[in-house]
Parts: sequence; C-alpha cells; structure tokens
Amino acid sequence: MYRSLFTILSARNTRQGLWGLPLLVALLISLWLTVQTTEFATAENLFNLVAQAMPLIIAAIGQLVVVLIGGLDLSVGSVISFTTAVLALGQPAIVLIPSVFLLAALIGLINGLAITRFNVHPIIATLSTQYIVLGITRILRPVSGGTVPEAVIGAVSGSLLGIPYPLFWGIVVILVAWKLLYGSRYGLHLFAIGGGIASGTESAARNFGVSDRRNIILAYVICSCFAAVAGVFLAGRIVSGDPNVGLLFELDTVTAVALGGTQLSGGIGSLHGTVIGALVMALLANGMNLANVSPFVQTAIKGGILLAVVGLQSRKKMGL
Amino acid sequence: MAAVLANPIARRLLRIPPSYFVFLVLLATLWLARPNMLNLNIMGIFIRQIVPLGILVLGQLVVMRVKSIDLSGGGVILLINYFISSGSFPGASLPFFVVLALATGLAIGLFNGFMIGNRRVSAVIVTLAVSIILVGLVQYLSSGNPPGDVPKLFNDLYNTKFLSVPTPVLFWILLTAAVWLLLAQTVFGRYVASVGENAEAAHFSGVPVQRTVILAHTLAGLIAAIAALVQTGSIAVGSVRVGLDLPILAVAATILGGVVFGRGDGGVWGPFFGALCFALLFVVMTVLGIDEPGKLIAQGVIILGAAIFYGVRVRTP
Repeated sequence: MYRSLFTILSARNTRQGLWGLPLLVALLISLWLTVQTTEFATAENLFNLVAQAMPLIIAAIGQLVVVLIGGLDLSVGSVISFTTAVLALGQPAIVLIPSVFLLAALIGLINGLAITRFNVHPIIATLSTQYIVLGITRILRPVSGGTVPEAVIGAVSGSLLGIPYPLFWGIVVILVAWKLLYGSRYGLHLFAIGGGIASGTESAARNFGVSDRRNIILAYVICSCFAAVAGVFLAGRIVSGDPNVGLLFELDTVTAVALGGTQLSGGIGSLHGTVIGALVMALLANGMNLANVSPFVQTAIKGGILLAVVGLQSRKKMGL
Repeated sequence: MAAVLANPIARRLLRIPPSYFVFLVLLATLWLARPNMLNLNIMGIFIRQIVPLGILVLGQLVVMRVKSIDLSGGGVILLINYFISSGSFPGASLPFFVVLALATGLAIGLFNGFMIGNRRVSAVIVTLAVSIILVGLVQYLSSGNPPGDVPKLFNDLYNTKFLSVPTPVLFWILLTAAVWLLLAQTVFGRYVASVGENAEAAHFSGVPVQRTVILAHTLAGLIAAIAALVQTGSIAVGSVRVGLDLPILAVAATILGGVVFGRGDGGVWGPFFGALCFALLFVVMTVLGIDEPGKLIAQGVIILGAAIFYGVRVRTP
C-alpha cells in the first residue's frame, strides 16, 4: 500500500508522468474550500464547478494529444471563440454542428500540414492560425451576440436522473479520449513518436514503420476538434457567440496539461493527469471567485502557476 | 517545385529576405492606389508610428538568432507605461524614468534568460506567462482604467525633428546600426551566431551557450524597455492596452526579415525592412478600408507565409 502510493506520487520515469501530486493538490484545495467557505460544498456550487471545468477539461485533452508528440497548439482559444461565433449564425443545429467540426478539422489540418510538410515550427504555425482564426471570428461576430440553436442550449443545461448534463459530456469525452490514447493503435503511435522526439531520436518511430507525418497531422486535427467540442459546450452555456470567450484558453490548457504531470517535450503524460490538472485549475478559479479575488489578479496568478509548473519540468532542449 | 528550387537563380532569389519583396509590393500598391501619399512628410509620420515595433524587433531578432523567442514585450511596455503615467513617482525627472525603465527591462529580461537558459523552460511559455502576469498586475493596479497622463517632456521629445527627419526614426536607425555592430563585430555576436547554428557544436567548441542565451534575453528585455519609452512618448497618456500586439508583430517582422530560429540570413536590416513593411501594410489597409479583423488575418498569413517560405528552403539542401 505504502509502496504503491509512493510510486504514484513520485512516478518520474513512467510514461504517465507525475499525476498523483496534482490529485493531492485538488483534494487539499477542495478540503480547504469546504472548511473555509460555506458556499463551496453546496450542490449548486458543485454543479457550477463541473460546468465551469468542462470546457477546460475537453480542450486540455485535445492539447494533451498534441503535447504527447512534443508539439503545442496555440490556436485552441481562437478555435473555441470561432466555434461559438459560427454556432450563433442563426442556422439550424443540423447544419451548424457538422460545419463547426469540419472547419475545426480544417484548421487542424492547416496546422499539421504547415508543421510536417513545410517544416514550420509548431508554435509559429499555430500562432499564425490563431491570428487568422481570430480575425475571421471578429468578422463573423465583432461583439458578443446572436443566438445559439435550442438543441445546443438544451444539451448543456438540465439533468437526467439527478445527474447534470455537463457531467455526461465529461464522461463521453473522457471515454472517447481513453479509447483513443490507450485502446487504439494510434494512441500507441503517439507515445512512440513523442518519446522519440523527446529523446532526440526523431526517426526511432519511423524506423519501426510508424508514419510520423500522418500521425502528427492527425494529432492537430484531433486537438482542434476537441477545442470545437469545448466551443459547442461553451456556446450552449453563454447562449450566444462571443469572439473573446476563448481568450487565453490555449495557455490554460497548457497549464492544465503540465499540471497533470505531462512533459511538454513529449512522450510522457496521461489522460487522468490532464483531467486532474484541469480540475485543479477549475477549483482554483472557483475558490478565487468565492474569495472575491480580482479577475486581473486571477489572470496573473494563472500565469504564475503556468510558469511554476512548466519551470519545474526538466528538459534537454534550450530555447523554444 | 523541387526543380524550380534547385535552379541556381531561384536559389539566389530565395536567399533574399522576403521583407524586401513585400516592401516593394506594398510600395507599388500604395503608389497605384494613393500616389499623393508618397511624400516625405506623410511617410515620416507613418514610419514614426512604427518605431516602437522597429525597436522591439531588434531584441526579437537577437533572441531568435539563438533559437529562442520573447513574447513578454507587451507586458514590459505596459508596466513601464504604468510606471510613467500612474503618478506613483511624483516630480520624478526624465532621467529617473529612463533609468527605472531600463532597470525594469533588464530585470525582466534577466529573469526570462535565467528561466530559458538555466532552467531550460520553453521560451514561449516563460515569456507568455511573464507577459500575462505583468498585464494582470498592471490592470489590477489601475483597476482596469487607464492611469493618468505622461509627463509632457516625453511627447515633446517624440515630436522633435532633425533635418526634417523625425527624431524617433533617426534614433531607431542608430539603434539598428548599434545592434548590427554588436552582432557583426563583437565576440558576443559570434557566440550568438554559433549557438543558433548548432548549440551542441558551439558548446563543445567552448562557447558559453547558457550565458549567451541569458545575455541575449537580457538584451531583449533592455531593448523592450527602450521601445516602451518611445511608445509612451508616442501615445502621451497612460493605457492598459498599449503595445499588447507588438510582440507578435515583432516576431512577424523578424521572420519576414529573414531571421528564423537559429538562422540569421537577413542580418539586422532584413527585419528593419520587415518592420517598415508593417508601417506600409497598415497604411495600405487603411487606404483600402480594411479594419481590425483583416489586420489580424494579414498578420497570421504573413507569419505563416514567411515561415513556410523558409521551411521549404530548408527542406531543399
């Protein structure tokens, strides 16, 4: 018992990364909030917490897929804003939902192609698409407004058998991601490619017949699609299109991923760690809101956490 | 495609930074659309507006030469603007503010450099996080509202002219020449080039890789502080939004100017023209009636296009 607990808390060299510690942090924050505030442990606040955490959990899982192959997707936030803007175009849901995912896949495809075919650094490629998508979003919807189809709103509010719908979203997304990462050939290839990139032997996976190019492109497509799911969820929550709703979301997802023990250099990381990392972020936000911390200070604190968790990771490469 | 790239003339052309071509295309567009705008006075005003960006580019190109990036410029500019405009230092003189700004930039640059060079944290993450922290801090201190006015002397200095050339533009050219001297003539410049080319080989040849990276970032912080002073002089008031889009524009101008991570083909003057391109681009877009979203898209397309331009070239040995 003691031994296995120790392994979880200090599992530095496993493929899953260090995820026990953030779990401990999440539990400690919840405990502290339960003791310190009367509002935290109420059904209403916990429901809100789940609903608040869900977009970050979904988008962070997408980011995890890209981080596992040693990449980074900075276009996540703008894809989320873009999705809400498209959903508020006033067309029926049956048209909007497929087009949202097609467009997200297209953005991911552009990222992936630029990185693999044209040798552009992932950060530069996704930074440029971030700006392009942000510009298109601002043309579609300069300020927040419009109405989202009823079906989307209905899918995120309400509950079934006492279980709120947002929780179902989480369960479905996590199951899909679990199958993708741990139950498919693609998941195995992701870890293989990422491990090669992290250790500086980029051709290792290729030598075993794993096509790195196609898998990397697919990773960026998957990341954008997860961001689109998060965008659909958020659109249902805010009931309108908002060009700024995804602002700085890409950094929150990176923080959540890194907080969950995933190494940004690739190859090491876990789904449960990422979900826990996103939960810690949501708990912190919830706690800071309950404690009336200024939103500006909250942003600064988030930046500090990002700096701290990424700063604690060690890596070989210097620079980008 | 490959056959075209293998052609010696095409390869010679590909060696020239894209900023020169883009600059000529934009100049031609402006000449066709509004020929009367192409006089020294009007262009002087437009180029003067771009000077903070041009100065920030100088720092960006140094760090990009050592395969790093600095996105913290926005936060540095905002913080220094807050220092000068908030009235926290009543009755302070111009030299005091200059020293304060330079010290701030130096400290932030040194911190970036330490995190990136010593702790080996991803440069994007460090500098973005530093920027977010600074922006959050300034917005909290000023409760989201713009702070007060900037001492009048700043704007007066900004508006001076020397032989009918605006002083800020002259200052920018001199600073660019100084950075050119630094990179071309000093040992530090050689170190920067070798670290960018191959950090491992540089290390085994006795180049202090870590110290070079830290110094490059410290220099970038210092240059960002100078950009902040000029920017503050140009807007003449306190702001909680000033300069936030400058770092990304600086990256775009640097890549456009032929300096991509680790490769410095464009030297210092390629990125100089990269910044000039943005001065012209904003004029052309205003003339053609393209507003904010269009500019965002143009920035993205330019960065991606320039990066692909180099990516394709690297692929063909």
